[in-house]
Amino acid sequence: MLKRFFSFSNSTPERLFTFSLLSLLFFSGTALAQIQMSTGEATALRAKVKAQAEVTKTISSDFTQYKHLDFLSNDIKSKGTLAFKAPNIVKWEYTTPFSYSVLFKDEKLFINDNGSKSDMDLGSNKVFKQLNQLITASIRGDMFDDTAFEIRYFTENNNSLVHFMPKDEQFAAFIKAFHINFNSEGEVEAVKMIEPSDDYTQIVFSNRIQNQPISDAVFSH
Amino acid sequence: MRFFLISFILVMAGCASYPKKNGFEKVEATNSPVQNPYFSDTSIDYVYKAKIDVFDTSFGGILVVKKLGPASHRIAFTTEMGNTLFDFSFIEDQFTVNSILKDLDRKILINILRKDFTALIREQNTLQEQYQKNDEYLTATTILGKKHFYLYENDHLARITRIGKGIPKVVFQFSQINDNIAHQIKITHSNFKLTIALNAIMD
Repeated sequence: MLKRFFSFSNSTPERLFTFSLLSLLFFSGTALAQIQMSTGEATALRAKVKAQAEVTKTISSDFTQYKHLDFLSNDIKSKGTLAFKAPNIVKWEYTTPFSYSVLFKDEKLFINDNGSKSDMDLGSNKVFKQLNQLITASIRGDMFDDTAFEIRYFTENNNSLVHFMPKDEQFAAFIKAFHINFNSEGEVEAVKMIEPSDDYTQIVFSNRIQNQPISDAVFSH
Repeated sequence: MRFFLISFILVMAGCASYPKKNGFEKVEATNSPVQNPYFSDTSIDYVYKAKIDVFDTSFGGILVVKKLGPASHRIAFTTEMGNTLFDFSFIEDQFTVNSILKDLDRKILINILRKDFTALIREQNTLQEQYQKNDEYLTATTILGKKHFYLYENDHLARITRIGKGIPKVVFQFSQINDNIAHQIKITHSNFKLTIALNAIMD
């Protein structure tokens, strides 16, 4: 496929023209869609997201997860609900195509795998502890920590896209980068976790409800 | 020497008796190879919710199998939240670790997974012996130097059993079969506490 793509020797001028036109459209399209922010714009976004995070006491939201593995024909799609309560209780509940939930609470990770329950002490595992902090921070969008990440800011179709590259080697071996999409209100719309292999998991949020009381039963194990 | 000879004879007798122990009679072997159709379609992403019980620990994840070409498969295991724990390639008897989480990077574990997954996905293999009991067929083949018996019930592959020293070491059970997809698969090790239960979650 690639070989065919790069073999221009017997290309007709028309083909070359079509190829050039397509590349122009493609590359200019990419450039138009994603523009690096100025320092001022980036500072304004940080302030907006931080303000949004500070007033966020609870979030409940639906989510759709796309697991992309390069060798598969299609992404693996799963769906569920997210519940967040400040400062750091998070529950991800997958409902289709399987029943599975993870609850981050009191420095512990509680798992309910289709009725089979287990827990893990996060205090003992550095990577999981960081992951918990990141999940909490990424839901609120408030992970602008320059000491922990190399951060790049972009605008994309009037919304914001921020790339976070972990500086910690142990963590970077697990996740190469987080890409977070923010809407104009500074709320997180999607999170993409990219692995060192370039395979990724994208989580897209929908039906987000903020600051409505969430029953304690949701966060019980 | 005498002890060795006795052991050798016992081992050989044990080996030969597995089909007999299960009431099968030897029949003339056909020329067709041993077939496993469950991971044979390159257009399908085989996606399973996995539950692994090892000793007293239980954990879950998503097991993905993809056939990429003749005798070529890729197998990846991820957490439910998407992080890849391992990613292996199998081409004939060759095996490559594309990636593995540092905590799981143990030779003994990788070897077990290699052997189990090679048997799980092997689509065709040379038939060495064949046995019959009513409508059930048992065929013998060798995978990675170990004897494996394939049990066919009503023309469906229902079970693969790896034999070591004449006794079953690992059993692969296939059930809820539809359109050459085994919706439930259970891999059980008998010499130590390890079971892998797979439930299909593809559309």
